[in-house]
Amino acid sequence: MLELVKFTPAELTILLLSLKVAIFCVLVISIPAIATAWLLARKSFYGKSLLDSLVHLPMVLPPVVPGFILLVLLGRQGWIGKYLYEYFGISLAFTWVGAVVASAVMAFPLLVRAARQGIAQVDRQLEIAAQTLGAHPLRVFFTITLPLALPGIITGLILAFSRSLGEFGATITFVGNIEGETRTLPLAIYTYTQVPDGDIPALRLVILSLLLALGALMLSEKLERKANRHIEHQDD
Amino acid sequence: MIKQLAVLVSLCVSAWMPMRVAYADDSIKVFAAASLTNVISQIAKQYEQENTANQTEIRTSFAASSALAKQIEKGAPADIFISADTQWMQYLQNKKLIQANTQVNLLGNQLVLIAPAGKRFKVNMEKGFDIAAAFSGKLCTGDPAAVPVGIYAKQSLTALNWWSSLAPKLVGTQDVRSALVLVERGECDAGIVYETDANISDKVEIVAKFPESSHEPIVYPLGLVVGAGSNAVGFYRYLSSPQAHAVFTKYGFTVLAK
Amino acid sequence: MIEIVATLSRKRFKLDAHVALTHRVTALFGPSGAGKSTLLNVIAGIAHPDSGRILIDGVALFDAQQKIDIPVHQRQIGLVFQDHRLFPHLSVERNLRYGAHRFESAAQQKGLEEITALLELGSLLRQKPYQLSGGEKQRVALGRALMSKPRLLMLDEPLASLDKRLKSQILPYLKRVAEEVEIPMIYVSHSMDEITQLTDHVMHIAHGKVHAAI
Repeated sequence: MLELVKFTPAELTILLLSLKVAIFCVLVISIPAIATAWLLARKSFYGKSLLDSLVHLPMVLPPVVPGFILLVLLGRQGWIGKYLYEYFGISLAFTWVGAVVASAVMAFPLLVRAARQGIAQVDRQLEIAAQTLGAHPLRVFFTITLPLALPGIITGLILAFSRSLGEFGATITFVGNIEGETRTLPLAIYTYTQVPDGDIPALRLVILSLLLALGALMLSEKLERKANRHIEHQDD
Repeated sequence: MIKQLAVLVSLCVSAWMPMRVAYADDSIKVFAAASLTNVISQIAKQYEQENTANQTEIRTSFAASSALAKQIEKGAPADIFISADTQWMQYLQNKKLIQANTQVNLLGNQLVLIAPAGKRFKVNMEKGFDIAAAFSGKLCTGDPAAVPVGIYAKQSLTALNWWSSLAPKLVGTQDVRSALVLVERGECDAGIVYETDANISDKVEIVAKFPESSHEPIVYPLGLVVGAGSNAVGFYRYLSSPQAHAVFTKYGFTVLAK
Repeated sequence: MIEIVATLSRKRFKLDAHVALTHRVTALFGPSGAGKSTLLNVIAGIAHPDSGRILIDGVALFDAQQKIDIPVHQRQIGLVFQDHRLFPHLSVERNLRYGAHRFESAAQQKGLEEITALLELGSLLRQKPYQLSGGEKQRVALGRALMSKPRLLMLDEPLASLDKRLKSQILPYLKRVAEEVEIPMIYVSHSMDEITQLTDHVMHIAHGKVHAAI
């Protein structure tokens, strides 16, 4: 029973890699996702529903599909990857950067959805009032919209983080399952189940995943409550 | 409350029962090493066509021998197991999961070094050769920890004193076909697979062959799994027939059983 | 001083405004639905007229023919709304300072002290909007608009959501602002009682139409 908590150095590496990929994933998508959320929440333009659908696509497709599309686009012989490799020597397969890309694609719609909800419920009249006080639209966004949309955005960030931690299909299809580079928690658990005597390590990693998920949920709730308290408006 | 508990308990109990019991049909289930994908599929189709009277159906499952052995150990409903090395057959023998006296060494193969088509590089298969400098990028083969082709590869590379310089460039995949695909796609600049795999693909070329003395003999043992259906014996025997041998030879396998 | 010519056609409403204002404090009087808020929105730049022009002291904020349409945040027009619209996540003080962020800190501080004194907001500065009463919120809203040093202050029925007691509490502050602050004001209301306490110069709007030169 005790072996269930004795993590080997290899397993700690897997954990650290997963955290690294998830953190970078969230960093990479934050600004584009919040900007997209704002566009969808506040603006109407030609092609808006197309953008909306494209954003949501990774959510409804089986993860291996976006993984394969990434391969076609960014693989070494891919439409874009070809040039990346020829001119810059950049190759994403087997790298944690590629794993970040795979996670980013899958987590993007989650953050956009949550952020869009957060932004949409910000009273537009407040934004107009801010403009009459001389605030440039960008200032309005950073001083009024963003702070008031924060609870929704925080939820989105943590959702994206968790999604990245759990990303499997797109990752394994695009960048493979390479120890130390792309073998994140879910891939590691899968690998252990394919190997004789891998059940105990698999179980250890499963427990780790559960703890991480619980931790993320609790943190999300705490941060949301804190943000709401800061806003503190009673409905009047 | 008691009722819910009873339902929960019976669900848990039934989840522990071996999966084999759940299968009620009489198709023949063949678990075979990934490198046998094309050849066994063809032989199976041949067998089905020759036995349409009995409406025999063969269901195949191809993966790394290590993964298949693990699945059979956990109760996967296999009738016939063909491994790419003797280790994983022995593993199941030790667990008393292979029927006595049914193990037959069926096939042999050749280990080769490949490169993406058009990207071959010069290699001298000798100890002093600086293999790490011969190609840029990664070398793909099965995971040397468990997948047979990876185990053979590590043996050969060690014998040639190439292991330490190549280990950092090594990518271990879950089976030999994944390694092949990665070389086809150019994601890996070199790969170690079986000659039979290289022959199937026109997107890779063989750069060199590993001397047989550099690794344990490549042997594909065949065995009947304990609890196999009665009609499995027919196909088991067919695999050693001249008709099957012809197909194996066509794909480039060495036929061992006479 | 202020010249507004604007037409705006919507589904069931048509604005037809032709107004020239020369007095500092003017009122806009009309029943609900007459188009009072629409006119204010047009002046502030929140709504865009189909044709016309808006000039304040010779500065064109909008001119359909010359294709001038200065965005809201550059018009320097302060607006006090019926529903205060205080920023819930900022303290009273930060709400007040919001419109004055461009000013030098010394000037900002001076402005804050003056407005706080004028509207007796001292005890409220540290509080958050949710802690204030309806009347207090409107006073803060008024102060916030003033702090941005607008070239024109518009008040859109600021007392409408307050009860009689609160109305009589706030009115003195409005009078004070009207008398002591040198900013042109347009006061909108459907209550003649309120208006007469602030100014004699009233324009009437009905069914979207207002033509006046006062």
